[in-house]
Amino acid sequence: MRTKLFVLFVLVSLVLSACAPTATPAAVEPETIRETVVVKETQIVEKEVEVQVVVTPTPGPNPDAVIPNVEEGAEITMWTFWLSPTFDEYVKNAIAGFEAAYPGVTVKWEDHQATFRDDLNNGFAAGNAPDVINLSISEGWVTQYASEGNLLALDEYVPQAVIDTYFPNLWEQQVVDGKHYQFPYYQGINVNLVNKQIFEQAGLTVEDFPKTIDGLPALCKTIKDATGKLCDIRLTTSDLLAQMVYEGGVEIINEDGTAFTFDSPEAVEWLQMYVDMVKDGLVDRTALVTDNDRVGLDLFISGQAPFYATGPNLIREVRTSNPALYGYLDVVNSPVGKSGVVGKGLMAMSVSASTQYPNAAIALAQWMTNAKTNIELSKLAAVYPSTPASYDDPFFSAAPVAIEDSAKPRAKDAVAQLADIVPAVPEKLAVNEIVLQEIQEALFNGKDPQQALSDAVAAANELLK
Amino acid sequence: MTRKKLSLTPYLFLAPALLVIATFVLYPIGAVFYYSFTKYNISTPPVWVGLDNYKALLTDKIFWLALQHSFTYLLVTPILIVLCTILAIVVNRKLPGINAFRAVYYIPVISGSIAVGISWRLMLDTNGLLNGLLLSLGVIQSPIQWLAEPSMTLPIAMLLTIWMGLGYYMMIFLAGLQNIPEELYDAAAIDGCNPIQKHWHVSVPGLRPQYVVVGVVSSLAALQVFNEIYILTGGLGGILNSGVTVVFYLWRKAFRLQEAGMASAIAIVLLLITLIFSIVNIRLMERGTEAD
Repeated sequence: MRTKLFVLFVLVSLVLSACAPTATPAAVEPETIRETVVVKETQIVEKEVEVQVVVTPTPGPNPDAVIPNVEEGAEITMWTFWLSPTFDEYVKNAIAGFEAAYPGVTVKWEDHQATFRDDLNNGFAAGNAPDVINLSISEGWVTQYASEGNLLALDEYVPQAVIDTYFPNLWEQQVVDGKHYQFPYYQGINVNLVNKQIFEQAGLTVEDFPKTIDGLPALCKTIKDATGKLCDIRLTTSDLLAQMVYEGGVEIINEDGTAFTFDSPEAVEWLQMYVDMVKDGLVDRTALVTDNDRVGLDLFISGQAPFYATGPNLIREVRTSNPALYGYLDVVNSPVGKSGVVGKGLMAMSVSASTQYPNAAIALAQWMTNAKTNIELSKLAAVYPSTPASYDDPFFSAAPVAIEDSAKPRAKDAVAQLADIVPAVPEKLAVNEIVLQEIQEALFNGKDPQQALSDAVAAANELLK
Repeated sequence: MTRKKLSLTPYLFLAPALLVIATFVLYPIGAVFYYSFTKYNISTPPVWVGLDNYKALLTDKIFWLALQHSFTYLLVTPILIVLCTILAIVVNRKLPGINAFRAVYYIPVISGSIAVGISWRLMLDTNGLLNGLLLSLGVIQSPIQWLAEPSMTLPIAMLLTIWMGLGYYMMIFLAGLQNIPEELYDAAAIDGCNPIQKHWHVSVPGLRPQYVVVGVVSSLAALQVFNEIYILTGGLGGILNSGVTVVFYLWRKAFRLQEAGMASAIAIVLLLITLIFSIVNIRLMERGTEAD
């Protein structure tokens, strides 16, 4: 009981203490004040306002979309040659521009490299070749595939105004039976890379580099006598007839195409020059007859060759593979042969004869080679446009900085002089093989050059029967 | 009914493999056989020419030269057998670090013929390691263009093949040696054989099954050599065709000259040679085993 009373007492004490006033100021009496309240009302009023209406026009045809009658909804396949991955962005941008210019046409792009030719041959054989194909002019692929009926003649489809945008000398290349099968694409300038260190050791300067082919033996002799180094000269084993034409001014086939004529005195003189160089031990024999351009290029890059004929675009190979040599590098014009023409064009865009969308495919081939697309590629690599208008870009008037750009100021003139002066010959691959075998006999087996060429002509003429 | 089911079952199990073989082996062989009677440049349809390709081969000097080179190349087989036997005997010892030696000999096998070929080309280059060594030792006065010497092309390629195959075939012989009972060597020792005689009388006969395998495999590989020639000669086949073998000539005809019909005829001839060669090889080896 006492305990219960105690607990009750404690509880009451706690409640009373909780209810006790705290030590706070005394509460203030509420005060009434007057406040002005503004009540907003929405009012609808009419007011005259001067409005300037801007109308955006519907996009019109792209001025660069120059090929008419492009098939709506066309799906085009394009193969390029060795452009990926270095130039992926450039190609993708070009395709995006094309698809915007020709709405409704879509492009599927593939880049083929070492197996390009095999893939393409198989594509033609299987009937699924790409619509647009990046072909080599210098290797004569356009002539070959056009002769086989695999390419579409462009003459009926391309307006004259479009043809006129290209250098005429480039448009007129690889013509088969009077028909044109290619849009000229990027071009190379034939130059010789010079190792100035070896030239200095031989007491020479780059100005001593000969302007004509027949000056090469004397140069090689001077270099070998002074330094022991051999010249890194390469015969174009895949197209010896072309080399005869450019360097020796040789007429390889008669006018009506019924007989080969490359055993003329001009041809013998041309071959004799190489035979003498081999006999005198002036040239690297492996590089001379290799099928592979890398063999000669690697020899030069290793710093063991005094010069090498190639394009300025391959200077980057020297810079990346042997930076020490890059400092001793110079570039000179390639010597001219008896034809007076340095060489032919480099790359082309052609259209497959079996394309379902000829106009769309031609439009794409033309787009890839137009002045704007051309210049974009030139800004990325030391290659040159096939369209004179591209050279109006300030890029070409800017002073060259790197040695890779040294050919830039004279590029337009050089490209304008490129020409394919090699006549189309029947059974070209087989004839070239005959010539290669006989030339080797003359170079390395002591066969008389006249006899070698006459035997080659006799064997090649058998193929025409 | 039950019988039928039983007879069908094995064929069902065999069917997937047979299908793959038919698609990737039998059909290509049939196609090549057909193309060998055509003029075919791959990019345009083939044209039937009957036996023209085979007739042309009979008078083709380079083909006969290639055939001669391919048979010369077979010399790598006896050389490999001798060298690999010796090497296997040498590494078949319980010495510290012997596994490292075995691994070193095997490195060329796993390096890949293209990579090895490029290394050899650089080594034999005019400005390569070999010329540098010989010049510094005063053995030669000016660099030799090894790969541009027609007489050197084939021997260099054969040397490369031998060097690459050494480790692989050595392993086969090593496995064979480790299966020969130790008691035989003990018995030979009791009979008074010295170490060389022990191997001549015990190891060599004991390795006969391995000789059959290595003989057939290496000689077939020698007949089909391509990579070494292609890399060493930069795709030319050697100056004056000095390194052209049958397979290289086949490649040249098919892919450089686009004469797929002629290349197919070469392939059929090569197939027959390989077939005859394999049968003779196995029969000879089997006869030897039976005689033992």
